[in-house]
Amino acid sequence: MTIRRENPAKFNFKNIARRSVLKGAVSGAALLAAPAIFSGRAQAAGKYMDLESLRGANIDWRQAEGAKITIGVIPAGYFKNLEAVLPDFAELTGIDARLEMTPPGQIRQKAVLDLSSGTGTWASHAADPMYYPLYVANNWVDPLDGYLGNGKLTDNSWFQYEDILAGWRGVTSVDGKPYGIPFDGEATIQVYRKDVYDKLGLKPAETFEQFMSNAEKAHDPDNRLWGSALRGFRGAGQNMYIYPSIFRAFGGEWFDSSGRMVVNGPEAVAALEWYVKLLNNYSPQGVENWNWPDIADAFGQGTVASYIDAHGSAAIIANPEKSKVVGKIGFARWPKGPSGKRVTSIWNWSFPINAALSDKDKAATWLFIQWAASKETQAATSYAFPGAYKRTGANRTSVWGLDEYKAVLSAAGDNYIAATTESFAEDTDVEWRPRLPQWPAVGDTMATAIQSSLVGQSSVTEALNEAQRKIDAVLKG
Amino acid sequence: MTSRASTKYTRNAIWFVAGGLLLFVWVIPLIWAVIVSLKSESEVLAYPPSIFFEPTLQNYRDALFGGVSILPSLGTSMIVSTATTVLTIVIAVPAAYAFARLNLRGKKWLGFYTLATQMVPPVGLVIPYFLILNKVGWLDSYQGMVTVYLTFSLPFAIWLLVSYMEDIPWEMEEAAFLDKANRFQTLWYVILPQVRGGIAVTVIFIFLNAWNEFLFAVQLGGNTVRPVTVAMYNFVSVEQTLWAKLSAAALVAMVPMIIIGIAAQKQIVKGLTVGAVKGGGRR
Repeated sequence: MTIRRENPAKFNFKNIARRSVLKGAVSGAALLAAPAIFSGRAQAAGKYMDLESLRGANIDWRQAEGAKITIGVIPAGYFKNLEAVLPDFAELTGIDARLEMTPPGQIRQKAVLDLSSGTGTWASHAADPMYYPLYVANNWVDPLDGYLGNGKLTDNSWFQYEDILAGWRGVTSVDGKPYGIPFDGEATIQVYRKDVYDKLGLKPAETFEQFMSNAEKAHDPDNRLWGSALRGFRGAGQNMYIYPSIFRAFGGEWFDSSGRMVVNGPEAVAALEWYVKLLNNYSPQGVENWNWPDIADAFGQGTVASYIDAHGSAAIIANPEKSKVVGKIGFARWPKGPSGKRVTSIWNWSFPINAALSDKDKAATWLFIQWAASKETQAATSYAFPGAYKRTGANRTSVWGLDEYKAVLSAAGDNYIAATTESFAEDTDVEWRPRLPQWPAVGDTMATAIQSSLVGQSSVTEALNEAQRKIDAVLKG
Repeated sequence: MTSRASTKYTRNAIWFVAGGLLLFVWVIPLIWAVIVSLKSESEVLAYPPSIFFEPTLQNYRDALFGGVSILPSLGTSMIVSTATTVLTIVIAVPAAYAFARLNLRGKKWLGFYTLATQMVPPVGLVIPYFLILNKVGWLDSYQGMVTVYLTFSLPFAIWLLVSYMEDIPWEMEEAAFLDKANRFQTLWYVILPQVRGGIAVTVIFIFLNAWNEFLFAVQLGGNTVRPVTVAMYNFVSVEQTLWAKLSAAALVAMVPMIIIGIAAQKQIVKGLTVGAVKGGGRR
């Protein structure tokens, strides 16, 4: 029996609504088992990947044979793809690695609970980059330079750590030392309705003023078209995910020369005012409750003319089963702020090593991480994945340069790949959000301030002053 | 006479309409969920919401038998909730009887102590439970999860049942004692039939709490014990929310609760009638 990969060269967003079904947590591997896909290759081929290429690495993949490790991840398409190809890892290494799907809202707490109590339940987990300062301050995770530099554990001429996107490496490192290896991530980019912009003679915004004026011109709520939308929902990963880009583009610095965190300076006020003005004037009602899926859903329904959010949101708006605007989508980098900077997000899920593990389990975990972050696995879980969902957040410059990968992505819309890769290369800013151990509390405080000024509970200045007071207290205590 | 009858009629009608409206407010989300569960993902977001659409059972098929089927999790939830409920009743009934009837030393103190665990917010208990279960090796295990659930179901059940048992006239027991029944027989043959309604109420609450529990399930469970409340998050990913499948899964997860509710309701009504006929006790 031959099972062909469907449309290998197309960005197959078509069956995306079914992707969670296709790549099921438990039985997904069986469903997708399509060994014939690579049947042309030698018996050395695993179910999904060419193991020979992995065996080319000059390390003993079987050095931790028999180890059992659990890795906490979130139920997202990219981890479901990774789970589907896990049998190949078991075949390569003899390690029994399992993913534990944990809801995104709880994974951080569960990781902190595990790490702080030293139980070693999760050998590794999908870590929020903002949590590394906290992890490192408590020595909960191992520095990875020792692993990268250990010839017994790593063949860097094969693994090529430096090939991983620089901004992502930066944000998973603390004081220059890597603590996590990025697996999947995103940049925020400008997304707009090409047809609407063409009709009105608009161009994707180059500056914040243009973005505002584009939104104003496209704004036509009587015909159910709103000018723009950004994340309004309160949360460190919601409104405090989009505001930092604006703050930095306005020239804001999180820390003053004495190292004190300042969130109520003039740049902060201007940035928050811009955000509030845009959303209050040109966004649909209720935007203060919108997280990014809501934005993408609205854009897909044709009711929002532009937004700035993760490049991965293309999976929704370019999916013909969910979206009415397929073929009418354009992409661009963030506009330049008043400081002349474009600042995108640096988001990724990365894998650290739990310091509470035994040496053997640490070796097993490192082999898992190295395997998951390798070019081979990145390819096997993205463009080469036999299911309908192809990952769009590959971690490596080299993968982003591959024609096969580009072919999968290009169907999303105009300028998608260029906007994303240029954002990675030019617009990432490691100091995009304030990196400090108290981030969970600081992020929450800022999120509250942003939302309370958005809904008019307090003025921008009051909200930021209040946030400053709370943050001062948190950082003192 | 007719005017009085019509006034009564009007009053009834007003109550009926007011009640209906009030009910409507609570029922609407449920109806909405049913409708959404029968739509395709693209129709869910359509504006204006489509009233006429081709209903599909695909979401149910996907939720039950698809790649991220919730069936195994339904099984897990069933085991955990049933075990919790059974153990709770087995322990709580004699305990409640003791509190209601026996002259224990330090009864007051014990009663307060029983309730004390209910006073700690669950979030405060997650860390100690996590550490203890880890020490015992019961993280992500059925026995661990059920033990944790017992800690909050037992006090609740005991206190609920005590109030029912205190309502039973002491004379009934006395009669049993005169017939040479021992404590256990009295409890079994005299008290239990009287508190049937109370037990039914307790069963519903305990089962419902265990079935809907999320915080402990997500923090103390894992790949082995993964109740349906956690598994449902497979449809709410960071990338998108699959509303139709989520609704289908949620409605499926409601079914056992509805069945238990209906079964228990009969017992509750029976319990009420028993008390009424005997003409005493229930204050």
